[in-house]
Amino acid sequence: MDDIDAMFSDLLGEMDLLTQSLGQETVPPASLPSTNKETNFSMSYTDLNESLHELEDTDLDALMADLVADLSATEKKLAAEMQGGKVPSPPPPDLPPPPQGLSTGPASSLVSPASPAISTSSNVSTPTSSTTSPLPPPQTSKPTREEIEAQMKAEKIKLALEKLKEAKVKKLVVKVLMHDGSSKTLMVDERQSVREVLDNLFEKTHCDCNVNWSLCETNPELQLERTFEDHENLVEPLLAWTRDSENKVLFQEREEKYEVFKNPQNFYQWKKDTKSLKDIKDQDKELLIQENFCGSSIIVPDLEGVMHLKEDGKKSWKPRLFQLRASGIYYVPKGKTKSSRDLVCFIQFDNVNVYLGKDFKSKYKAPTDFCFFLKHPQIQKESQYIKYLCCDDETSMNLWVTGIRIAKYGKSLYGNYKTAERKAAVGSAWTNCSTPSSSNPSTPSPTIRAKSPNQANGHVPKAPPGPVTEDFGNDQPPPPPPPMTNFLPPPPPHQARAPLPPPLAGKSSSKPALPQRHLPTNFPPPPPAMGDLPPPPMPPPMDDAFEAPPDFLPPPPPSTGFGSLPPPPPMNSLPPLPPPMSSDLPPPPPDPGFLPPPPPQPIFTGAGAPPPPPPPPPPPPAAAPKAPVRPSGSVRKVPPAPPKRTTPSTQGEAGGGGDFMSELMLAMNKKRDH
Amino acid sequence: MAVWDLSVTVEDLGSDAPPVTLSVASDLHVGGVILKLVEKTQIKRDWSDHALWWEQKQRWLLRTAWTLEKYGIHADARLVFMTQHKPLKLGLPNGITLRLRACFSSPVFQTVMGVCRMLNIRHPEEHSFLRPVEEKKKKKDKDSVEDIYDLTGVPLSSASRPCLYNGMPAHFADSPQMEAIYKMLSVTQPPPAPEVITKQYRPASVVDKAHINGRWLDSSRCLMQQGIQENDRVWLRFKYFAFYDIDAKYDVVRLTQLYEQARWAILLEDIDCTEEEMMLFGALQYHISKVSESEPQTLSSNAAMDDLESALQSLEVKMEGESSSASEMLENMTAPELNDYLKIFRPKRLTLKGYKQYWFKFQDTSISYFKSKEESIGEPIQQINLKGCEVAPDVNVTAQKFLIRLLIPAPEGMNEVYLRCDNEQQYAQWMAGCRLASKGKSLADSSFQSEIENIRSFLAMQKTSSGSHGNAHANDESINPHSLVSPRYHKKYKAKQLTPRILDAYQNVAQLSLTDAVMRFLQIWQALPDFGLSYVVVRFKGSRKDEVLGIAPNRLIRIDLAVGDVVKTWRYNNMKQWNVNWDIRQVAIEFEGNINIAFACVTADCKIVHEFIGGYIFMSTRSRSKSDTLNEELFHKLTGGHDAL
Repeated sequence: MDDIDAMFSDLLGEMDLLTQSLGQETVPPASLPSTNKETNFSMSYTDLNESLHELEDTDLDALMADLVADLSATEKKLAAEMQGGKVPSPPPPDLPPPPQGLSTGPASSLVSPASPAISTSSNVSTPTSSTTSPLPPPQTSKPTREEIEAQMKAEKIKLALEKLKEAKVKKLVVKVLMHDGSSKTLMVDERQSVREVLDNLFEKTHCDCNVNWSLCETNPELQLERTFEDHENLVEPLLAWTRDSENKVLFQEREEKYEVFKNPQNFYQWKKDTKSLKDIKDQDKELLIQENFCGSSIIVPDLEGVMHLKEDGKKSWKPRLFQLRASGIYYVPKGKTKSSRDLVCFIQFDNVNVYLGKDFKSKYKAPTDFCFFLKHPQIQKESQYIKYLCCDDETSMNLWVTGIRIAKYGKSLYGNYKTAERKAAVGSAWTNCSTPSSSNPSTPSPTIRAKSPNQANGHVPKAPPGPVTEDFGNDQPPPPPPPMTNFLPPPPPHQARAPLPPPLAGKSSSKPALPQRHLPTNFPPPPPAMGDLPPPPMPPPMDDAFEAPPDFLPPPPPSTGFGSLPPPPPMNSLPPLPPPMSSDLPPPPPDPGFLPPPPPQPIFTGAGAPPPPPPPPPPPPAAAPKAPVRPSGSVRKVPPAPPKRTTPSTQGEAGGGGDFMSELMLAMNKKRDH
Repeated sequence: MAVWDLSVTVEDLGSDAPPVTLSVASDLHVGGVILKLVEKTQIKRDWSDHALWWEQKQRWLLRTAWTLEKYGIHADARLVFMTQHKPLKLGLPNGITLRLRACFSSPVFQTVMGVCRMLNIRHPEEHSFLRPVEEKKKKKDKDSVEDIYDLTGVPLSSASRPCLYNGMPAHFADSPQMEAIYKMLSVTQPPPAPEVITKQYRPASVVDKAHINGRWLDSSRCLMQQGIQENDRVWLRFKYFAFYDIDAKYDVVRLTQLYEQARWAILLEDIDCTEEEMMLFGALQYHISKVSESEPQTLSSNAAMDDLESALQSLEVKMEGESSSASEMLENMTAPELNDYLKIFRPKRLTLKGYKQYWFKFQDTSISYFKSKEESIGEPIQQINLKGCEVAPDVNVTAQKFLIRLLIPAPEGMNEVYLRCDNEQQYAQWMAGCRLASKGKSLADSSFQSEIENIRSFLAMQKTSSGSHGNAHANDESINPHSLVSPRYHKKYKAKQLTPRILDAYQNVAQLSLTDAVMRFLQIWQALPDFGLSYVVVRFKGSRKDEVLGIAPNRLIRIDLAVGDVVKTWRYNNMKQWNVNWDIRQVAIEFEGNINIAFACVTADCKIVHEFIGGYIFMSTRSRSKSDTLNEELFHKLTGGHDAL
């Protein structure tokens, strides 16, 4: 039990770190009422917890499932990494504890570490732990020590950098209103694009995935509505919301989103009569798109027309002749010609977004209800800095709004459309087999899955091979931590405390203690690892842990997804948890169930390791036994999650895991022999 | 068969020498005539480039197997025996004149191809020759002894198949002089002096712009046939605004010249733009000239990187450097900050009148201020995050006014805050910090120092620009902002008013590499509404007034001169056929949907219009798969007209 306690304390320490780093966590107000009040800034850990509490049960379940999935994904990654590069796995005890040093550094501007070469993500911590651990790693011995050490050191440094970066990643719990009035709650991190979140939602809703699906924001105070562009980051605009706002995020189909690519003639030849526009050949449409979007320069529709402008701070709307150019909106001053040189700049698009105004006829006495306006995204209330325009009809409003989007976003808009089209095509196909890939380590949340079914999630491409872990890992972790704290059985304070500023530091510090107990085993630097990664999810039974070589101790959370896979203990960091664990789960306190492991993970996951081919080592059986050390709390959610994962997760991964496990077993045996 | 005397002037004997008289029969073929001629002159030399030119008929007798009879040559014919390649003065888009040997006997299309090959310009089909606009003031000829870069020494054979050496054709590697010429071709010119811009002809209206298009040479006839003599001057210009497959790696000269042509089009108001756009063009020109001075090689130095090995090596070094420095980086990572006393003013707040001095701290992307330095450890009076804010300079160097105007977004709107600095140095630092922070970058960003430098050099510009000495080789410090904008703005703004506006636009482009900056310039140029339009004044059938036809890469537009508006647009993809009635000089076009238009051309020959339309159709047939081989025959088919080929 001591071991377990120690582990927990470690975890807690990690979590603290995490929370600190996440200082910013916010829950978008709209979605989570409770959190909202907090505003974006500096939501603390507890706040997050609160918000989680307030979530409806279903939401919570869903969120948990996501989180778990993420965890499992991470584990898979790790496993993959392990296979790929053995090197990392055997983190020799000797390793200098680089992380500590690193940890001190402020994270801020670091370059993302990222190089895949570094094998282990999570491991950083592990190495340290191993140091403490008495046992020399049997496996490790294979490669020459110096080499390994050197490599490890480099890896650690990179890892550290990554983690530092990660630590700064903001995450939000977002409640998205669905078209049917229901809502879904997602964890979104600041690196996720709207596209990724949409993919995620596709997976959750089993909708038809057509290109019109969009995320929109609404602001009742300004009566605005805006469709987020797929390449935008979702978190940033949400952070601009005020704490008391009633803004919402909607998931709905928006016809006009990509209309310009479906019927470019309506935008680029708007002057023609509607009849001839209707009869246009597909081939001519294609040509228009080519000319305007595929050349070396994006061509903006040559819009020109009278719109009504609400003058700064005044109530009246005055007609003006406006022109759209790539560089902005201009108007023709009275008595001047329309030649370019006489045009007066009305607004340029660098710092503003375009929004649709709802019901402005009654609100502002606009001539019509076809209004749009431009403002800095941070502005959330009425202000003289908002430029209101009113068109005669819906068609011209759509022309203008689309034209402005083309001018502002250029090629990305077309790229977004192409991606959405691909997704739509693939989407229907794989919806059936939906379960697939969610496991990606990358993003914790849904995003991942959404992307490509088969592949790992969002980050998919990288995933399978070693490097995968990097990004994802990071993201995921955040959510889990909070729960842990609350529910988790109280870890021995002392250990836990490792107040590590940056995750790294934390790990390192914590590790020592842990290692001793468990695992000196080579592989997995259990304690630290645990902290970082997945451990939480799976509560490996304590007993098993004991029995099992120390390695196991920190049974990784991977439970479900990995199921088959032995957890990727190989990495130093992760303790290899046997999938079975999940099933075994001891009765954890309900809430906590999911939490435990996650927190640490995020941090660690950061590093991506190159995945060498997995060696087919001995079967994992040994590992299996140890199951869950798990903290009491967390269990319940966990189980469900696994199923998803598992299904999706491809066998390949499992295989990898197995190898890992087998290796672990070997190592263990060796140790024992000693 | 009867023998008769044929007199031939031999160029090589000198212009005063009497014609050589040969006895020939009508069945003698041209090759035989040349043989006799060469024997008679008794000059030993390489005659392979020589051919007979028939003066009265203005044609070359290039088919040596044809008999005199077949050519229809009789005793009254005046023939000249001369070289086909002659020196030609070529005005480049960058304003520099090059002297080189061009073919005077093949269709201009081929001559242009040859010239482009020599200059290493890909896709010669987009270019053509333009008769230069006569310069008004001949008196000034004496002081305008322009540098002419001489390329006549380049062996014709080497120009036909350029092999690249160090990224440039081998003939440019022969000597330092030649390398200098290549540099001139491939590096952008410094901004011209304002007077140079002012002096040049500027079209004042669409009709003026239409006139220039009457000057294009006919691609299907040779130079001699179009009255171009040895040592005459023509301009080489991009004629078709459909730039195919531009690749910064292979198109160094092409890109540079395209940029120059675009730049002059902007400066001379050949294409209209708004004031905001002009400022951005000015900022890009400034940036490009600055960067190309400091790293003149960038555009052309890809050759080395072609080498995979060296590329890999550099990658390796990079990675090593990264890992080894990582720990150091961390250690040095105390985030940079700025600390100083500044004055703050909030124009919108009545409570705070005038400027008040506080101790300011700039950290990450935020500014905080304290009552004094001593109190800076505690809570700041206020902290302002600059991310997403707008930054504008308000500077007057002579008055020692260094103001940073910040417009900071907040949920309630934008907050206006002015920061006043005491001196240039302080201003440059804080301004640079504000600029970076507005884009979400912290002071630790690598561009911080360069941003400071940029601001300083702009301040310097403001200092020196009061007088407008425009020396073309202005060094970095003394670029006159009037050199960057069209003359319209010379009148509208003083140099020091212009500087902050250009600087304003400059902050968005300051980090671009040379190639990217050039590309950006071209993109903005291409995004102008009037881009790619070549105008011709025409008279539509059935109409009594002149109108303007605009020919674009994908469409024709009809412009009403009275209103200045586009009345009608026809796209080529709807075009079924077009014909030229050469007798009445009328172009008739049929579009789908039974639309027929016909017009006579006023400011240009109908052959030119015909060639433009056919040329653009040809340009659109180019596809990546066929890449390098130019379908010359198709071009002539589309552009040649009745007498083509």
